[in-house]
Amino acid sequence: MREIIQEFFKKTLTLRLFWLSTAVILLFILPLFISTAYISLISEMLIMALAGCALNLMMGYTGMVSFGPAGLYAVGAYTTALLLKKTGIPFAATMVAGPIMAGLVGAVVGWFCVRRTAVYFALLTLAFAQIIWTIFFEWYDFTGGDDGTVGFRKPELLLSINSSYYFILLIVIICLILLWIIVNSPFGKTLQAIRENPVRTEFIGVNVKRYQLYAFIISSLFLGAAGSLFAVFSGSVFPDYAHWIKSTDMIVICLLGGMYNFLGPVIGSAVYIFLSKLISGYTMYWMLFLGIIVVFLVLFMRNGIAGFISHKIAPLIQENKETEK
Amino acid sequence: MDIEAIMGQVLSGLSVGMVLFLIASGLSVIFGTLKILNLAHGTIYMIGGFLCYWITSTFAHIPAIFWLALILGPIATALLGGLIEIFLLRRIYAEEMLYQYILTFGLILILGELCKLIWGVGYHTVSVPWPVDGKMSIFGMIYPVYNIFLICCGVAVFIGLMAVMRFTGLGRIIRAVTFNREMANALGINVPMVYTGVFMLGCWLAGLAGTLMPPMSVVALGTDMAVIIDCFIIVVIGGMGSLSGAFIGAIILGLVNAFGISLLPKLTIAFGFLLMIIILIIRHWGLLGKPE
Amino acid sequence: MRTKSGVLIVSILFCFIIFCGFGCKKAGNPIKIGHIHSISGAMSMYGKSCATGGEIAIEEINAAGGVLGRPLEQITRDDNLKPEIGLREAKNLVINDKVDFLTGTISSAVAQAISNYAKEEKKIFIVNIAQSSTLTEENFHRYIFRIDTNSIPYWGYAPALALAETWKNKKIISLGFDYVTGKDTLKAFKEKYLPLVPGAKIVGELWAPLNTTDFTAYITKMKNSKADAFFLACIYGGGELAFTKQAWAHGLYDKMKAIQSCAGDVETWSSVKKGEPYPKGAIATSRYPFWAIDDPKSKEFTKKHHDRLGYWPSYGAMNQYVIVYALKNAIEKVGAVDTEKIINALEGMELNTFVGTVKIRKCDHQAMMPTWYGYVDFTPELPFPIITRVKALGEDSYHSCEQIEKIRLAATPKQP
Repeated sequence: MREIIQEFFKKTLTLRLFWLSTAVILLFILPLFISTAYISLISEMLIMALAGCALNLMMGYTGMVSFGPAGLYAVGAYTTALLLKKTGIPFAATMVAGPIMAGLVGAVVGWFCVRRTAVYFALLTLAFAQIIWTIFFEWYDFTGGDDGTVGFRKPELLLSINSSYYFILLIVIICLILLWIIVNSPFGKTLQAIRENPVRTEFIGVNVKRYQLYAFIISSLFLGAAGSLFAVFSGSVFPDYAHWIKSTDMIVICLLGGMYNFLGPVIGSAVYIFLSKLISGYTMYWMLFLGIIVVFLVLFMRNGIAGFISHKIAPLIQENKETEK
Repeated sequence: MDIEAIMGQVLSGLSVGMVLFLIASGLSVIFGTLKILNLAHGTIYMIGGFLCYWITSTFAHIPAIFWLALILGPIATALLGGLIEIFLLRRIYAEEMLYQYILTFGLILILGELCKLIWGVGYHTVSVPWPVDGKMSIFGMIYPVYNIFLICCGVAVFIGLMAVMRFTGLGRIIRAVTFNREMANALGINVPMVYTGVFMLGCWLAGLAGTLMPPMSVVALGTDMAVIIDCFIIVVIGGMGSLSGAFIGAIILGLVNAFGISLLPKLTIAFGFLLMIIILIIRHWGLLGKPE
Repeated sequence: MRTKSGVLIVSILFCFIIFCGFGCKKAGNPIKIGHIHSISGAMSMYGKSCATGGEIAIEEINAAGGVLGRPLEQITRDDNLKPEIGLREAKNLVINDKVDFLTGTISSAVAQAISNYAKEEKKIFIVNIAQSSTLTEENFHRYIFRIDTNSIPYWGYAPALALAETWKNKKIISLGFDYVTGKDTLKAFKEKYLPLVPGAKIVGELWAPLNTTDFTAYITKMKNSKADAFFLACIYGGGELAFTKQAWAHGLYDKMKAIQSCAGDVETWSSVKKGEPYPKGAIATSRYPFWAIDDPKSKEFTKKHHDRLGYWPSYGAMNQYVIVYALKNAIEKVGAVDTEKIINALEGMELNTFVGTVKIRKCDHQAMMPTWYGYVDFTPELPFPIITRVKALGEDSYHSCEQIEKIRLAATPKQP
């Protein structure tokens, strides 16, 4: 009997598609069970998950550590918000314009950045993100400065939390599928080769810089998409979305979930946002606990939750099974 | 602008620059040897400020307490730095820079909250100590002695550090470890101890800057975030890990700010970042760094 | 690897259903006031003070039998100065905790985010502390109220009126923090002051980045400007303390007159002892000079606050106290907790506060809280510098309804 159960679990555990579709179905029926406040929280998690996955394409898959992803995220958010506020163009067009604008900015920033490696690359992305922050902050007449851009129109359909949740869920899933295809395409494999050994990849005839630039642009596009979604979700955008502290949030989300795992940032985002919500309710020193979590993460769970499970816990189960036999 | 106004801005630019150099020198020393971008450096600086306030207010009856605080404060931050290095940083030298960045970000949160827990949320000030509390006249301008004192401190720290690095056995060991860690290890140098020592030196410098600042500024939460990015900019301009570069970088940033506020006030916030971007694009090893 | 993340996501989702699905609370008996403020981080002094102000009012009301027989309750949440967190907490308060009103925030950005949400959700949001005038001018809507001053009177018009009544300086140099409220402040100051004092002009405008603590370069510039007074536009908190110290050391206060709006509020100055630098003789404004208010209720409030927190009340604490009473009166007038009716009751309502009778204006839902001005000095009663020879400024320090109408018209986007 026991063996049959074990066999059953072993089988189902390996059914990746089964679990993923269960997750998606659950996500779709979630609003039936839980209060809309949590649906709104999950919407936030989904958006940050998308941003994390986009950053992961650059950081985890191509090995380019960026300290300034929030800059591009904010470009997406501001493009959508400003178009909605100042022009009458259709909603769908503004949602497309956000990522495209972020992609364009990403192309310019990336063109400079990929010429540098390691710490210089990271610092250059940081400086560019801060410049983007400065532009949003200083251009009062256009962006509203630190008061942000607020009060832009939203389609009737997205006014309720549940319907905007479905909208966000749909877009995030589509984006994740696109990212998945990119990561598993020959292009994605080349990126991973660059991460493992840029010199060798160059020798086999790959133009490393160009591929890195493409990865930067694609990552920017999806960061912009996340920004646009957040603008619509929250109904207001602020320069702080481009600040380096927001960037560190995104990096922590990637790390927490697991950088070398496609869905790592999804888990990271869920756990990170849920934890900060949970702790902030109990203590005014919640940043202390957040800091401790971050330090613990770096010291003991460098591959994130996903990595931790597959490296530390999964072998334990395996071992148990073997000793049982 | 007349000549007096220009001299005024030059002097204040130097003053601002030297204060920033005092903070950034520690960051530069740490990056030079440990190759770590220590985001928590600003927080160590802030702790130095809180220590200065705490010592001077608790033992206010002791004469010349500020000067005692100036000795004790940096030592305390250096010890704190030693603990951080031994228990946290040491474990992740082999890892990517990203982990160090995030670890030190976590430290910002932890140390900042601990400051709040210990010293509360208010603003604190420290009086300017005797004998540097007067005013003096330079180029026909009234100028506070304390600012001149800070400029001198900056220069003294710079010369002192350069002398230690150049002429002492300790400096040779540090340079050897910086140059080639494995080789130094093979030669029998205790590399982990040198790392701890250098990190403590960096934190001592941050603590020194933190203790020197309260008499002309304010002790409050959040001052760490205000300085850390400026320090990064200085270290990048001068060349990562180059002490003399940081010195020049600090002066440049100070002067650019001093003149920028009157010539292009709208862009003041962006100046530092623009400088950083230009340097990283055309000469990423910095003004005085060495190309790899 | 991927299988496991799938499993993980599913299990996380189940956790959500289990924890959150049943965690949703039923609307209870008390009338709930949601209060979002900075309880952690650099501004937490204000947040804690505001929360305490509200609690004192609620205790008084509940001890007297509550409102319509129901007790009041205040739920305080931290926004960490981040708009997205403020918004998240606002949603949580409204949906999960079923609060009837939202109040608070020190950061204007957080207030903008919450205001936008309150508009969609049709909940009353009463601003406390956030100073940006755009909240109730360009971005005004039916559900936002402000029982507090705003940047126009406090930082702009009041100092201008005070200066025009007293020194009438002709050559003024300004220094401000470089952000929207700073810019608005200087604009308002010029708008009010220049017509009142013929021949006056602003000879220089300096802007320092937010969080600057080393003002040496600015001070040198001001010293060489040949102005006879300087005006601080929105230099507050630690920045103002640092500026004052440095300006004092540079002898700026001996060289020119000072108009230093924020120096009248105690939060920043309560740490300054006798013998330390302070803006001696400067004209400053205050939003709650409790030492100059004789109303015994104010004295009692100040004492209670000091007993609880160990420091003197910020104006935010007084605002929160007034807000709670305003809501109580409105609810009692309407006879039910009905948002739309309460808005109608609040519009034009006269609040009897211990700073006098304050009217909530209909055109921008702004309570006409008075601003005081005076000269900074030490007094025997308090161990830190305060404003003395206090004089109150009333409604003429606010934008008039016509002015606001114009601002709103100019801000409305021209739809193609």
